[in-house]
Amino acid sequence: MRRLGREGWVGMALVMLLACVGLWAPAFFEPQPLWTRLASWMPRLVVAAGVAVVMVARHIDISVGSVLGVSGVVGGMVIAAGLPAWAGMAAAVSCGALAGALNGWWVAGLRLPSIVVTLATMVAWREGLRWGRQGVFVNLPDTAVWMGLPMVAGQGLVIAAGLGAVAGLGWWMRNMASGRWVAAMGSNPEAGRLAGIPAGWVTGGTFVVSGSMAGLGAALLLVQSPQVDPASGRLLELEAVAAAVVGGVSIRGGAGRMRGVLAGFLLLACVGPALTYLGVKAYWDKAIHGVVILAAAAMAARAGGKQAT
Amino acid sequence: MKTGRTWWVLIGLLAVEAIVFGTWGRNFGTADNVANMVRHGTEVALLALALLPVVVGGGIDLSLGSMVGLSAVVFGKAWRDGGMPWGGAALIAVATGAGAGCLNGWMVVRLRVPSLIVTLGTYSLFRGMAEALTQGVDAFTAFPASFLWLGEGRWGGVPVQGWILAAATVAAASWMHGMRWGRELRAAGFAPEGARHAGIDVGRRLVWAHGACGLVAGIAGLGYTARLGTAKADAGTGLELAAITAVVLGGASIHGGRGSVGGTWLGIAVIAVMANGLTRLPATMSVAAELTGLMTGLLLLGGMALGPLLRKDGGS
Amino acid sequence: MFGDVGATRGDARALDGGVAGGSKGGLNYRVHGGEGEAARLRLVDVSKSFGAVRALRGVSMEVRAGEVHALLGENGAGKSTLIRVMAGVHAPDSGRIEVGGRVHGRLTVGTARAEGIAVVHQQPAMFPDLTVAENLALRLEQAGPWSRWRRDRHERRARECLARLGSGIDPGRLAGSLSMPEQQLVELAVAVGAGARWIVLDEPTASLTRREQERLYPVIDGLRGDGAGIVHITHRLEEVGRLADRVTVLRDGESVGTFGGRELDEGGLIERIAGRRVEGMHPGGGATRGPLRLDVHGVARAASGLKPCSLRVHAGEVVGLAGLVGSGRTELARVIFGLDRPDSGRVWVDGSEVTGTCMAMERGMAMVPEDRRRHGVVPEMGVAANLAMASHGRLFPWGWLRPGRERRVASEWTGRLGIKAGPAGSLVGTLSGGNQQKVALGRWLATRPKVLVLDEPTQGVDVGAKAEIHRWIREWTGEGMAVLMITSDLPELLGMSDRVVVMREGRVAGELPGGCSASEVMGMAMGTAGSEVGG
Repeated sequence: MRRLGREGWVGMALVMLLACVGLWAPAFFEPQPLWTRLASWMPRLVVAAGVAVVMVARHIDISVGSVLGVSGVVGGMVIAAGLPAWAGMAAAVSCGALAGALNGWWVAGLRLPSIVVTLATMVAWREGLRWGRQGVFVNLPDTAVWMGLPMVAGQGLVIAAGLGAVAGLGWWMRNMASGRWVAAMGSNPEAGRLAGIPAGWVTGGTFVVSGSMAGLGAALLLVQSPQVDPASGRLLELEAVAAAVVGGVSIRGGAGRMRGVLAGFLLLACVGPALTYLGVKAYWDKAIHGVVILAAAAMAARAGGKQAT
Repeated sequence: MKTGRTWWVLIGLLAVEAIVFGTWGRNFGTADNVANMVRHGTEVALLALALLPVVVGGGIDLSLGSMVGLSAVVFGKAWRDGGMPWGGAALIAVATGAGAGCLNGWMVVRLRVPSLIVTLGTYSLFRGMAEALTQGVDAFTAFPASFLWLGEGRWGGVPVQGWILAAATVAAASWMHGMRWGRELRAAGFAPEGARHAGIDVGRRLVWAHGACGLVAGIAGLGYTARLGTAKADAGTGLELAAITAVVLGGASIHGGRGSVGGTWLGIAVIAVMANGLTRLPATMSVAAELTGLMTGLLLLGGMALGPLLRKDGGS
Repeated sequence: MFGDVGATRGDARALDGGVAGGSKGGLNYRVHGGEGEAARLRLVDVSKSFGAVRALRGVSMEVRAGEVHALLGENGAGKSTLIRVMAGVHAPDSGRIEVGGRVHGRLTVGTARAEGIAVVHQQPAMFPDLTVAENLALRLEQAGPWSRWRRDRHERRARECLARLGSGIDPGRLAGSLSMPEQQLVELAVAVGAGARWIVLDEPTASLTRREQERLYPVIDGLRGDGAGIVHITHRLEEVGRLADRVTVLRDGESVGTFGGRELDEGGLIERIAGRRVEGMHPGGGATRGPLRLDVHGVARAASGLKPCSLRVHAGEVVGLAGLVGSGRTELARVIFGLDRPDSGRVWVDGSEVTGTCMAMERGMAMVPEDRRRHGVVPEMGVAANLAMASHGRLFPWGWLRPGRERRVASEWTGRLGIKAGPAGSLVGTLSGGNQQKVALGRWLATRPKVLVLDEPTQGVDVGAKAEIHRWIREWTGEGMAVLMITSDLPELLGMSDRVVVMREGRVAGELPGGCSASEVMGMAMGTAGSEVGG
């Protein structure tokens, strides 16, 4: 099926990778390490999903790593102040949404290039946090870890929340008018304006979405350990963009689906551990990531070669 | 070019910094401190100067920091495991950087992938190669003193980095403002198709810009190694964003076309002086060094918001 | 596929339904019984100027419901301005528009839409990453942000709209995968879905092959049968006889008249379109034909729709390259200059073969492109930098900029071409169109070319500058330059060219000698008169 396009290819690559691993290194699929690994991936996955929404609208958000850091600390402090875990998680998400709204206002309201705006807020949030915390971790009470549940159940909850959020975003993108507006604006902004789409709100809204997802990522990270590291979001932004690109989201906007992002993220996330199980040394991880990203980008360029800048 | 107003804003900022830190900072204005600033600012400054042509040509390079790391590791490997004299190893390291940059440029031009995506991929790839070369843990140390002199020594009373930086500045200024290649790159940044219609080989100019970027990243990798005395795979992490910040703060447009060496220098200086000055303030003023980054971010945002107001013709 | 088109004939409700923003009270569409004012779209005495250019001068035109009204005229006759006035994009300087008896001094995009006027553009603006159904839905529905996106309903509606046009395009296909005629059908479906009663077709057939055109005709017939009033802009005269009930011809911003669909034969139409020209208004030819300079042999490029083309230009000669928009003139010029790589064929300059722009420039070829702001100059850069841009290799040996040399070149050519550049260092983007064009010309003249390719050299240039440019072209050819000039301006073509090469549908249709008539050129360009001469 040509219509499946790049998501299909990425999905196939993922399946083949997992099949190889299943044949030669079935230890990879032992439930407990797999379960833990999945839970630890969820924060990064939801962040990548949020960035993908912005990219579908033909923008980019590289502040998500810093926003995740700030949201995590805010959420952690709420919990440390004695409030229940869910309140801290809610605080983290709201904090992310606010930071995203700020980005959105700069980009949509003042019509500034999103890469520069989010670069600035990325630096500002990260360094502001470093200044505010001086690198000190936030200590959480034991009751907050896995929301007081047994670890396996807590991990299950995290996995469900992460996958649920991504599925929800995907559903919104496909099945609600505003979700389609995002794709339309990314596909052809001029035609979008002519068709009466509220351009500013849609663009700004996508940044609120990516900010909220960064906040959710912080919330899902928060409950996994008794301490919040203020530097936990470092370099996450480029990883998120990479997952989206591999998953078939076009940097030129318009194209991209959540299931593709999921596949792209899992491919990048699995390739390292999988190869480790197959005997490749872990330090090849990043280089292989790079090759996967470049291969995906080259394939996309060949598919849409007509649309050169 | 309407860079004039940006320049004045940056010069004003520098003046404010000089007054504030000169008044309250300890030993801010001493020669030693200035030398210190040069030493610590060199790598970012080099990378920013190298990034400028790429940005003016309408692209971006996210792989700068990774190229620094790769060339540092290649240098260490060639010197220690390859048994080469450090001069030869340094040549190989710089050539590695240049090759990496050309690879970026080639993929941008030939495969027609946006430079943001290409360099995002090589950001991972080059860092990964550095990690693979060192097997993730290896670090190269105990370099000969003649090499370390590059990072710690002085020549004619000025830190060696000062000379390297001066040479890089002259080279960048000549290229971007004194030679046809810079002019052509600028035309390509403003209007890629228009430049092609004027008979300019846009693809070759872009490959050169990316290649030069890699070459300078290689030099920066050597400088980094010489300053710290070790070469590790994580050398230069995050430098790409610092360089982009300086270039954009210096008035270069991310859409291509606009940007100057002078403006970039002012951007670098504003950040470097602030970073240094904040550490010189007395403890009673309780301003931490981390404030630098925060202020940089705010400056960037402020500068951008001012941009559309200052520039009457708006731009696109 | 195109069968059973007029199925919904007489179903006025279908036409009324869903007019975007058309819920304004009191709009009473009486589609049939077309005698009254309600069944007329009238433009009365409409004038419109852009600066010194008078695009429309007192044009009147009437479209009736249930007719196809062809609008003819050469490029620049004012057709596009007229349809922009109808679509509400341009406000006329004077005159009025009457739609169904309601009088408007001007239309806005919103009122035009509310009055049921829809324009189908030659190159529709679509969302390439969305499906056909979604494209239709986004254009037709005003949904709330949190409303469900009813994919099934959208698909059903899209299928209905397309079926009324007799098209079986799958609504689930991505718009980016549609061919040009399919895109136009979708655009037409938007108009139908919006219940448009007045549909303007802006050269829908220009970029279509003959087979594709044949499939569009029954669609237009069907719309007419449904009672829509259709304005059909075209360059293909056979379509007039095939489709049009009436014809209006524009020339130089004025209406030449409205005729019955079969009142005039093709020759008569061509005469009305081209008019009787005062010849000899340009500096006369009389150039001596020198040695062969530019030799293009069998150049073809599928991606540009270019079939094998050959032509020759001698020193001291101006060869006019004529043809309709979309006939492949610019595409051929791009290949000759090396901007696009040909699939086959070769180009020689002075006997040596050239490939690629750099080599073409070295051999003394120059090209002034059509799209001045995007290709001809770099508006964000200064006059001197723009003038020097094509001569870098000669002006700056070793690569170092030489401001003195650059200034000298700049002052030479600003002086010789009379470029009014304002204060020193002013950006080209701030100059008037005529001065920008002179900069684009000067850039290439500074290279002292032996072969000059001009693509619409006087488009959007005022009369004075135009005459100057014409005089210069003569001067240069007198000095032995070979000029290949693409122009849509017939008087310019006829007055300047020593020979005219006519292109049609991507190939060279034939060649006419200097002093040929406008009718001959138009006839060959439209594919009526003259025998086909292979490329």
